[in-house]
Amino acid sequence: MFLEPFMQRALLGALILTPLCALLGVYVTARRMAFFSDTVAHASLAGVALSFLVGLSSPTPGMLVVSLIVAGIIIWLRERSNLSNDTIMALLLTGSVALGTALLSRLHGYRAELHRTLFGDIIAVENTELWLALALLVGVVILSNWALSPLSLISVNEDLAHVSGIPVRWFNYGFVLILTLTVTITIRLVGILLVGALLVIPPATARQLSTNLRQEIWLAVTCGAVSGVGGVLLSHRLDIPCGPAIVLLAIVQFAVALGWSQIRRTRRPKLANA
Amino acid sequence: MTVAARTGPALDVRDVEVVLGGRTILSHITLSIPRGELVALIGPNGAGKTTLLRCCLGLLPVASGVIQLLGERDLRRALPRVGYVPQRLALDTGLALSVREFLALRRSKTRNWFWRSAEDIDAAMPSVASELGVNALLGKAVGSLSGGQLQRVLIAFSLLERPEILFLDEPTEGVDAPGERTFYEIISDIHRAHQLTVVLVSHDLSMVHRHASWVVALNGRVCCAGKPDDIIREDALREAYGLHVAPYHHDHHHHSHSHGPGPGHDHGHRHEHGASGPPSPPSHVP
Repeated sequence: MFLEPFMQRALLGALILTPLCALLGVYVTARRMAFFSDTVAHASLAGVALSFLVGLSSPTPGMLVVSLIVAGIIIWLRERSNLSNDTIMALLLTGSVALGTALLSRLHGYRAELHRTLFGDIIAVENTELWLALALLVGVVILSNWALSPLSLISVNEDLAHVSGIPVRWFNYGFVLILTLTVTITIRLVGILLVGALLVIPPATARQLSTNLRQEIWLAVTCGAVSGVGGVLLSHRLDIPCGPAIVLLAIVQFAVALGWSQIRRTRRPKLANA
Repeated sequence: MTVAARTGPALDVRDVEVVLGGRTILSHITLSIPRGELVALIGPNGAGKTTLLRCCLGLLPVASGVIQLLGERDLRRALPRVGYVPQRLALDTGLALSVREFLALRRSKTRNWFWRSAEDIDAAMPSVASELGVNALLGKAVGSLSGGQLQRVLIAFSLLERPEILFLDEPTEGVDAPGERTFYEIISDIHRAHQLTVVLVSHDLSMVHRHASWVVALNGRVCCAGKPDDIIREDALREAYGLHVAPYHHDHHHHSHSHGPGPGHDHGHRHEHGASGPPSPPSHVP
């Protein structure tokens, strides 16, 4: 089955995108941005519809454009309005889902595309997405050597980062750009509804077992890669959508890590008493 | 670096007005702090103490007036010589960031902490970490520290790059009474040992009285400024806090948490945003 080109693309896509999501997820969870990534993901539904309405063969360009526009609107409203974060996200999330569904309903055979966009599809990863994912991975690896420290400090406290000489606003814009691109491309693999799980579950698993940030990052990236590749294989073997398979595998990892950390915690006082 | 940047006042604030959300928070603020002083900013809640401090760090814009920090009008240029301890971190307590990693984030030498061993990072740690007793905490997660431990770590963080001026914004919030006393003693020792200028926002008048060399009372404007003995008096405090207030030098051994002015004080929720009144005279620290 590894000789089939769509499987090779799916496996390679999973191997690139799930660790990337996990790495970004460490900072998404630390900065409480999970709702932001969910909103950007849902916005791409309107992008899928727009792509097909203007006659493009791939939905990816439309998804990227609409997601980036919505991310820009979120930042603009945060900086310029007195609306709370939750209100801004809820407004844009529901608005873009409504727009996307309304536009998709105008297309013939939209139900299959809607299902694929919501839950992901193993054959949806094409060469364009793979090249984009690879470019993102290379960019993030190069940038992280220089940006990991400022990003970590911004996640602790933006004021401290500013006083330490870090251009906080520009780092925030850069992080939002990379996060939006990663989320939008990953949607082809796992779908809109489940992409948020790849940002949250691997870091949550890593936190159960880590005593420092370096460990957390390495463990999150490893858990992400294992659930990504394992999920694609499971999806093919059991004939289930790719997204649910990856996420269920990630949840199993989390449950094992949580159990292990609880056992360790309960053992420690007993050892101390002995 | 200009001569003023090396020898002038540590902080020079000239006729500053701050407007946030259409409301005037501070008006006609003029004060000059020479190097080496331990200055306390006091005043009721909403007096604009934190706002002034944030303006001095370039975290908030001023509507008019000029702030010079360490001789620099472009505040960003002064930041490498500035230390800052924020009011609270609002940290995600589940984040596995260790104290060692947190301190490494501040230093240019250890910014590549991700690829370095713990021993390597510790070897590059300045002596201030051991001075503050932070060495024993290096392996702990920042989110698991007690209020007092976190404050010591934050002070160590702010001193790592040997700043010339240290800003502390209500640094003892969330710290118990004995911890608070220890904290002020640490600040006082650091001020002497490192010959730093310290600007401290505080509610605790008895600690300010004991440790500060100069006090500035704010309430939308500079109400008065002077030596602690001159300012922490009933008439001077009345101008800053309003209504009936009296200095109350509580003893932390017997009273757990009664900061600031004592019985009858208006310490709670008198929001003085937009406080009008005549422009206050410049307050110069001698």
